[in-house]
Amino acid sequence: MLLAFIFAVFSGPRHALDAQQSKPEEYQVKAVYLFNFGKFIEWPQATPKDNLFGVCVLGHDPFGATLDATINGEIIEGKKLVARRIAGIQDAANCRILFISMSEANHVKQILASVERTGVLTVSDMPDFTSSGGMIQFILRENKVRFEVNLSAAEKAGLTFSSQLLKVATTVKRDEQKGVEGQ
Amino acid sequence: MRTVKVRDYSLALFLVLTGLDWTARAGDAATALPQAPPQGPLKQLSLEQLGNLEVTTASKSPEQVWKTAAAIFVITQEDIKRSGATSIPEALRLAPGVEVARVDGNTWSIGIRGFGSNLTRDVLVLIDGRSVYSTLLAGTYWDVQDTVIEDIDRIEVIRGPGGTVWGPNAVNGVIDIITKKSQDTQGTLVTLGGGDEEQGFLSARYGGGNSKGLTYRVYGKGFNRGPEFHPNGQDYDRWRSIQGGFRTDWNKNARDTFTLQGDIYDEGAGESANLVSYTPPYSQQLDQTAPLSGGNLLGRWTRVFSEGQDIQLQAYYDRTNRHSPNFGDLRNTFDVDYLQRFRIGDRNQFSFGLGARASQGHEIEIASGLFFSPGTRTDQLYSAFVQDNIALVPNRVTLEIGTKLLHTNYTGVQAEPSARFMWTPTETETIWAAFTRAVRTPSDGERDFFLSGYIGPDPATGLQRFARFNGNPNFKSEVLNGYELGFRHLLGKSFYVDLAGFFNQYHDLFSEDLTGGFGMETTPPPSEIPPSTHLLLPAEFGNGLMGTTTGGEFAPEWKPTSFWALKGSYSFLHMVLKKEPGSQDVGTGPIIAGSSPQHQVLAQSQFDLPRHFTLDLSYRYVSALPAQTVRAYSTGSVRLGWNPTRHLELSVVGSNLLQPYHFEYPSTAINRSFYGKLEWRSKEN
Repeated sequence: MLLAFIFAVFSGPRHALDAQQSKPEEYQVKAVYLFNFGKFIEWPQATPKDNLFGVCVLGHDPFGATLDATINGEIIEGKKLVARRIAGIQDAANCRILFISMSEANHVKQILASVERTGVLTVSDMPDFTSSGGMIQFILRENKVRFEVNLSAAEKAGLTFSSQLLKVATTVKRDEQKGVEGQ
Repeated sequence: MRTVKVRDYSLALFLVLTGLDWTARAGDAATALPQAPPQGPLKQLSLEQLGNLEVTTASKSPEQVWKTAAAIFVITQEDIKRSGATSIPEALRLAPGVEVARVDGNTWSIGIRGFGSNLTRDVLVLIDGRSVYSTLLAGTYWDVQDTVIEDIDRIEVIRGPGGTVWGPNAVNGVIDIITKKSQDTQGTLVTLGGGDEEQGFLSARYGGGNSKGLTYRVYGKGFNRGPEFHPNGQDYDRWRSIQGGFRTDWNKNARDTFTLQGDIYDEGAGESANLVSYTPPYSQQLDQTAPLSGGNLLGRWTRVFSEGQDIQLQAYYDRTNRHSPNFGDLRNTFDVDYLQRFRIGDRNQFSFGLGARASQGHEIEIASGLFFSPGTRTDQLYSAFVQDNIALVPNRVTLEIGTKLLHTNYTGVQAEPSARFMWTPTETETIWAAFTRAVRTPSDGERDFFLSGYIGPDPATGLQRFARFNGNPNFKSEVLNGYELGFRHLLGKSFYVDLAGFFNQYHDLFSEDLTGGFGMETTPPPSEIPPSTHLLLPAEFGNGLMGTTTGGEFAPEWKPTSFWALKGSYSFLHMVLKKEPGSQDVGTGPIIAGSSPQHQVLAQSQFDLPRHFTLDLSYRYVSALPAQTVRAYSTGSVRLGWNPTRHLELSVVGSNLLQPYHFEYPSTAINRSFYGKLEWRSKEN
């Protein structure tokens, strides 16, 4: 084991010259996806009250500072993006994108029912999210982050998805009955 | 609750994507926020590029482990690959609380929290939901449980009775080997290699599908392995195998999924078996290659109604042909299982299941010293379980109560109740406690089995002396009352700790009982040979032992940087077994207790090096087996891997490096060995 420690000390911080193959973390990529969803989706006109575009996390926050690092300083539709952590659905008033954490899996249906027609994009990585009425569900395929779309849920909320976004989704569901396989 | 992470991001973040013309660029190293990695490069990517990025996932807190009120450990595909393990028993060394002692080239003595044996009795072993435990001797034949190792998604190891959802025989643990779905094994994968002991191996897999939700894979594999070291010069334990199989998955719509999979194999595993007969030469050691072959077919349908409401129907057929030098077993097994989950109100998640299994075996007698009577028998097993998972405080406190019911052709209905409690005070800690009663139902090996041993000639009369275990029609189930406690904590994003403790009370354990003194026997039990006269000491397998096991496992994981992970475990076991009052056991209690190591340590270091190299080191210490006169040993292994392209990986593995050979079990020592491997995939790594 001494050998392992010596090795660790000398293989310490590597420098920019080395093309090191380093993989991003799952939630770094998901945070960038949330930012992209903001760019490729159109919200209905009558939302929200202030000039901020809220990206909210409900429940246990798996992103941490990564979410802020991703959206701080960005502007979509003339509104500044802000990251918020909320503990309950009652605080979701100014959220455009709502990421629902796996910690809320036991009452996801209630959450989705409360935000149903408020023009909020619901995103999660909990299993069966789109079957429960969620709009976008992250899935891991061969260690790559992909996503499924429930288009009926999105249309009910008045959201319009760009065809570019639908093209890269693995599945686009309508009416919870038929699924159309994407890429 | 947000934690501020202070990480040293003087590293530049590079992304290399194949299949796309993307040149490596430095991230904003100088201006990076100290609390989070720079997201600049990632935000420049298109949606397609984002979807092609391979990611690392948070260490060992997948929801399935976090929310399980049991001592569960998940051995991931990454762990198996980086350990260099080429077989399932070797991969099991990575789990805490599991003792794996290699007996010879094709045999392992495996146990969970004690009671290690070649057959790993008292543990339920499953591959993709198919139970591979044989009702003949109540155990698992590890030499025929194999698959393409690279297509194993994970191995879930539960120490302890595991609760109501699991099937029969889940007394000391459950080992569930889960292969990847066919959608995750698309394209071609070829692996080949060889070395000194791992003389040659080759596997090829092809996966395809259509765009309507139907995917499949087919594979073929084979290997040739050499013997381990025998001080007495034997080299019987060679091993060769050829196996093939397929899997198809059909996601018909958002609700229905169908799976059909099967395997077929043909192996030759060398055994050194003792053949006892009542006619000369009475006892001989046969070193022979045992032909082992078989196949299985499994089908499963799952329908999801909504979250927490689903049904699953599964059926499988398994055929095993075992021709050991001293007996043969030809067996057909059919099994059907139904499982349903539904919610009542907001807080109750119910599950229930029904299962039926019929296993028909035909035993081949080779010598009169080992036979089964009746020689053909169909073992039936009916099982049911019901469980309620109650959210006492939503997201914080849950109570799971349930019971399993078993009925076999040997026993009436037996209940195995279980209660499990879980408290999650914060998002990063969880505490659980459980009580379970579990039983190991009788097998043909106790009821119908006649096993003789040759003692020698009697000087007084000149007759030959034998001892024989006669089938015991009164053998009943072994019983366990298990009490467990566990704690999991996630510190920041890079340190994870899992602690589990247990106290198990056993009674009616398998014992070897003398039932009388020497007597003269003139006609041997039913067989083809002419009668002879000999002296016989009668015995039988009884339920004469009781005792306790106490211990715990500590398994931390630390990922100090993005390119270095440290994992390990320490397992402690204290076993005390003694005779039940009135038992005629010959004294096997201390022998069983002294055949399990009291301490086990595992430490692994996984490095991702520059220029696409990976280096993995592991160290293992196992304390002595006093009853087997096996000394404590420590050993280590190294794996060096290189990905010259995204489709190709070359690796070299050195195992058991610290000595030229060491004993894990009496009489056969495990050699220091090396092998090299080439792995090519048509879809990038």
